[in-house]
Amino acid sequence: MQALLARRNIVAVGIIVFAILPMVANAYIVFVANLALMYILLSVGLNMLLGYAGQLAFPNAALFGVGAYTSGLLRLEFDLPYWITLPAGAAFATLIGLAIALPALRLRGLYLALATIAFAQAALWVFGHWNSVTYGGAGFRVPPMDFSPLPLDPPTGIYYLTLIIVLVAVPLGWNIVRSRIGRAWVALRESEVAAETLGIDLTRYKAYAYVVSGLYAGTAGALFSALLGIVTPESFDLFQVIVHFCMVIVGGIGSLWGGVLGAVILVGLLEVLRTFRDLQEIAFGGLLLFTVLVVPGGAIAMIKRYLPGWNEPLRRIGKKR
Amino acid sequence: MSKLIVSDVSISFGGLKALDSVSFDVKQGEIRGIIGPNGAGKTTMLNVISGINKADSGKITFDGTLLTGLKTNKIASKGIGRTFQATKLFKGMTVLENVMTGAHSQLHANPFSAAFNFPFVAKEEKQAADQAYEVLEFMRMERFADHEATLLSFGQQRLVEIARVLVGKPQVLLLDEPAVGLSVTRVGEVEDLLKRIRQEWGITIVMIEHVIRLVMGVCDRITVLNSGEKIADGTADEVINNPAVERAYLGSKVKVNVTD
Repeated sequence: MQALLARRNIVAVGIIVFAILPMVANAYIVFVANLALMYILLSVGLNMLLGYAGQLAFPNAALFGVGAYTSGLLRLEFDLPYWITLPAGAAFATLIGLAIALPALRLRGLYLALATIAFAQAALWVFGHWNSVTYGGAGFRVPPMDFSPLPLDPPTGIYYLTLIIVLVAVPLGWNIVRSRIGRAWVALRESEVAAETLGIDLTRYKAYAYVVSGLYAGTAGALFSALLGIVTPESFDLFQVIVHFCMVIVGGIGSLWGGVLGAVILVGLLEVLRTFRDLQEIAFGGLLLFTVLVVPGGAIAMIKRYLPGWNEPLRRIGKKR
Repeated sequence: MSKLIVSDVSISFGGLKALDSVSFDVKQGEIRGIIGPNGAGKTTMLNVISGINKADSGKITFDGTLLTGLKTNKIASKGIGRTFQATKLFKGMTVLENVMTGAHSQLHANPFSAAFNFPFVAKEEKQAADQAYEVLEFMRMERFADHEATLLSFGQQRLVEIARVLVGKPQVLLLDEPAVGLSVTRVGEVEDLLKRIRQEWGITIVMIEHVIRLVMGVCDRITVLNSGEKIADGTADEVINNPAVERAYLGSKVKVNVTD
């Protein structure tokens, strides 16, 4: 029975459910599932930076916005197809991620957190006030994606596009954390001095974390602009920072599959509380406190304790002999 | 031939002179002990060699190349490994993964090649896992390979830390009190281990140690530091009979006059 609940099986079931959902569920549920898939990208990306590499940094909400604005504006102003706007949004966000990494590499702990939150606020200000480019506080509408010649309406097309990207991005991330990159991240998180004396270049590996994390956030942003069809600054405010942070903590910090879980849990919670907007923040705060106090390792830690087949080695070979 | 040459190294922290033009050189295959009372500057010496602290003046050369001024990770990848007085094993990793991290400089994956698990990445990962396992076998620690490293006993953690450095195939090993807090039998095992490391791997060792039995047992030469200055340098017998060393540890003889 317990073996049936191994990660491999649960993930397979999850993929099947997500794959057939548009055929059986109504538009609202498909939209929420699409949001969940998109947040998986954000959560997994932030977890690499925050959980694996241990950098208390929050640039991702802003990079999420950069991805959304870049791809949305390219679609609106130049009428480019999604297979250009999407990679362009992701790439530009990654570039900005690298640009923030350079000053952020010198900072640690609270100073790093403050600096990156300041960056998020500055980006928000740019989104809201650079009227000639971003259309200011009111934002702009994004023309729907055109999936022809495929016989897909835009919502279904975006849904399956998001699903495919998640099905590629999560295994790629899983490969990264199970290589010398993931081990170097955990090493520098636990002891920078010890990591350095083993030949790990701290600057380079922190920069890798910012870049990979930025790529995931930018990709999610580009999908977000298409999914919502409207881009406004307030989608990328401090609440977004908190949502990402909650996903990582509630799902399981330093665990890739915890990130996946956290995204699904929190999107579900957000939707249940959609009609009580004020309650959302209270519920988030409560869930965060509960996790930190009762299950510090997040949902994934509970699962790992009771079910076999969920452990996450930082290597892909050299199993028990 | 000298493997590691430390010449005229000085460093101060604030007003405190932690090292005052210290010089010594270590031959290929030698086991060098560094001893001295607390605060003598022993750990600072290792920190300067491995680049954690930057010397104010003086230089360090290794196989003819200048180490002074290089970043710690560069010095490490040139073949200088080290362990710490308080073990710094990585939490959240098993013993095997900790040891595999020590092979970092021998692998070449970047995020892109790792993400797509290029054939060379897969091959190198397998080699790293095999090597890590071999080193654990060499240290008779293989049965702990899949244990969470930070849950092991203190003595075992010290051994894992040494294994983690060894897997990186260093030419020089800097050990900061490898026997601190170990039982007498354990100290014997460490003595045995250090000799085997030199014999089978040809590694030059520089170690700080307070356990005199271990120092006398394995070290070819001993350097004695006191308040940042080198006060003696020589074989165990020479050092032990050196009056300056006795003074450093026990203080000078004072005549006490008792009146009334």
